[in-house]
Amino acid sequence: MAITKEAIKTFGLTEEQLLEMHYKMLLARAVSVRQRVLQRMGKGPMTFSGEGHEAVQVGTAFALRPGRDWVFGYYRDVAVALTVGMTPVEILRGFFARRDDISSGGRNMPSHFSHPDLRIVSGSAPIATQIPHAVGAALAAKLRKLDEISVAYFGDGATSTGDWHESMNFAGVHKLPMVFVCEFNGYAISVPWRKQAAIENVAVRAAGYGFPGVTLNGNDVLEVYGAMTEAVQRARSGEGPTLIEAKTYRLQPHSSDDDDRRYRTREEVEQWAQKDPIVVFAMSLHELGVLDDKSEQELNDRVNREVDEATDKVEQESTPEPESALRHVFVEGGASNG
Amino acid sequence: MVSVKEITGAEGLSRDQLLDLYYKMLLARTVGQRERMLNRMGKGPFAVTGEGHEALQVGTAYPLKPGHDWIVPYYRDIGVALTIGQTPLDLLLAHLSREGDISSGGRNMPSHFSDPRLHIVSGSAPVATHFPHAAGIALASKLRGLDELSVCYTGDGGTSTGDCHEAMNFAGVHKLPVIFVIENNQYAISVHVRKQFAVEDISIRAEGYGFPGVTVDGNDVLAVYAAMKEAVDRARRGDGATLIEGKTYRLVPHTSDDDDRRYRSREEVEEWTGKDPLVRYRNWLKENDVADEAKLDSLHEHAAREVDEATEQAEKAPTPKPESALDHVLVEERLAG
Repeated sequence: MAITKEAIKTFGLTEEQLLEMHYKMLLARAVSVRQRVLQRMGKGPMTFSGEGHEAVQVGTAFALRPGRDWVFGYYRDVAVALTVGMTPVEILRGFFARRDDISSGGRNMPSHFSHPDLRIVSGSAPIATQIPHAVGAALAAKLRKLDEISVAYFGDGATSTGDWHESMNFAGVHKLPMVFVCEFNGYAISVPWRKQAAIENVAVRAAGYGFPGVTLNGNDVLEVYGAMTEAVQRARSGEGPTLIEAKTYRLQPHSSDDDDRRYRTREEVEQWAQKDPIVVFAMSLHELGVLDDKSEQELNDRVNREVDEATDKVEQESTPEPESALRHVFVEGGASNG
Repeated sequence: MVSVKEITGAEGLSRDQLLDLYYKMLLARTVGQRERMLNRMGKGPFAVTGEGHEALQVGTAYPLKPGHDWIVPYYRDIGVALTIGQTPLDLLLAHLSREGDISSGGRNMPSHFSDPRLHIVSGSAPVATHFPHAAGIALASKLRGLDELSVCYTGDGGTSTGDCHEAMNFAGVHKLPVIFVIENNQYAISVHVRKQFAVEDISIRAEGYGFPGVTVDGNDVLAVYAAMKEAVDRARRGDGATLIEGKTYRLVPHTSDDDDRRYRSREEVEEWTGKDPLVRYRNWLKENDVADEAKLDSLHEHAAREVDEATEQAEKAPTPKPESALDHVLVEERLAG
C-alpha cells in the first residue's frame, strides 16, 4: 500500500517523524545483520534476528512514551528496544555478554532486553511468560491511577499457551490499560500456523475476552502505527485492552542455531523478501518526496557508521569478572530477617 | 417398551427414555441431598454436590455410549456419573470413604469420580487439570482409528485456566472427537462470572479455536440433550470438537465447607429455585401426557428407596485397612527384566 499525504495527515506524523521511523527500521536491520555476522565469526554465542519484523516493531513502539509506558518485549524485538531508546551499543553489549550490559550484565541470553530507565522489562526465555507480567504491570498502573500503559509483544506460537489465555482474560475482566501485539510471522520456529491453530486470524479471539482485535499488514509501518495509536488511546482513556495481530514474515532463520530450509521453501522466503517492510517504506518516502537518493544514502551511511562504531567499542570492552558470577543471584547488602 | 406415537418436542426420545431421563435427574438430586445430610450428621467428611445442574448433566451424558466413550468429569457431576452407569451405592461408598469405593478405594475426595469399566476418568482437585487429559484421550482415539469420543466437563471458572485454552486449541488443530461441556452456574465458588470473563456467553470462544460453540438453557433437559446429540454426531463423523455452554445455577452452597450467604443474595437463590430443572421437566412430562402425577410420584419413591438402601449398605461397608495405605502409591510388582 503506497502511503498518501492524506494518510500521513491522519496519523499526524511530521516528515521528521517519518524519517525517524525509517531510521529506526534501518538501525534494527543493521544491528541484526551485524549480530548474525559476528556470531558466524565466533564472536557472539547466539543471535536472534528481527529482520522482516521492523515495521511491526517500530510502528507499535513509536506510539509509546519511552520511560513511562511499560514494554514487555520478546527476543525478536530489537527494533522495539531501539525505538523506545536503547542504543546499538547497549544491544551489542547484551549480544557480546559484556560486563556493562544493561540488560543482565552479560548473564542472560542475547536479545532478552531489559532497561530499567526505559521501562523495558526483562523476560524469561520460555515463551509467553512475559505476558502475565505485562498484565500485572497494567493492573498496578490502574490501581495506582497512573497514566501508564503496558504493552506485551509475542509471536504467533505464544498464542497457544495458557499464560496468553489467562492474561487476555484477566485484562478483559479488569479493562486494563494495555495492548497485546502479536508479531504474526506464520512460524513458531518450525511449526507453521496451520498446526498452531485452526483459524486464520488469531485476532478473532479478542471477542472471546470482551475487547477488540485487529488484523493488519505488519509490513506497512504506517498501518501498524495507525492501529497502535488507536489502541494506545483506548488504553489511556480507560476503555481497556486491544489485541493487534500484525501479519509479517521472518526473513532469516529463527536464530543462529536454526536451519529454516528444513521447514520452509526458498520460494516462500523469496516471495516475502519482495515485501520487505524497509524497502516498501523507503519507496513510499521517495514518492512523498520525503526521501531522495542522496538523503537515503546519507541515512544508510549514518546507520552503518553507528553500528560499526558500536561494534568496535563493545568488542574492546571487558567481560564480567569471574568473581562477580554470584552477583544478582542472592539478596545483597544484608537484608533483615526480622 | 417404546411408544408408537412420537411425542412433540421430545427430540426423538421414547416415553421410556423420557422417563429414564427424569429418573436419573431425580436420583442425582437425591444422592446430592443425601450426601449433604450425611456430612452434617458427621458421617461423611465433605460433600460437593450438583443440585440444580441435573438437566445439564443428565442431558449431556444421555447421548453417550457408556463404557465406550470417555468421560472426564469434574466434582459436581453426580448426574453424569449416574447416567453413565455408576450407582448410588458407588457414589456413597466414595462419600463415606469405604474400602469398596470404585473411584479410589476411599482415598480421593468424594465426587472425584472414576470407573475403569465405564471409562470415567479420575481427575485431580485443581480446577481444569482434566482438560488436557480429555484432549489427549481424544487424540489417542483418533490415532487408533477408534469410534470413541471424549467429553470434558467443567464449570465457568475452569474456562479461565491455561489448561482449558491449551486443550481447546489443540482439539481444534487436530479436529479431535471431544466435547467440552461448560456448566455455567455463574459462580466459581464465590467469584461471579462478571469477574471471571468480560463476555456474556463463553461459547463464543469456540470460534477462536475453529469449532462450533453453542449456549443452551442448562435447565431444559431436552434442549441440552438436543445440543449434545448434535455435538456427538459431529464428533463421531470426524468433524471435530464442540463447545457446549449450559446456563444453570447451583441451588446449594459450593460444598459443605462453603457459606453462600456471603456472596449471593437469598432472593437470587429463590429466583433460580423457581426455575428448578426437575420441577420444569416434571411439568413438561405431565403437560405432554408422558406420565401422570401418580407415575411421577412413584419414581420419586423409587429413587428415595434406592438411595436409602445404598446408604444403609455403604454405612455397613468396611473402611480401608490401615495396612493398605500404601497400596496404589508405588509400583507393586517388580517389572521383569
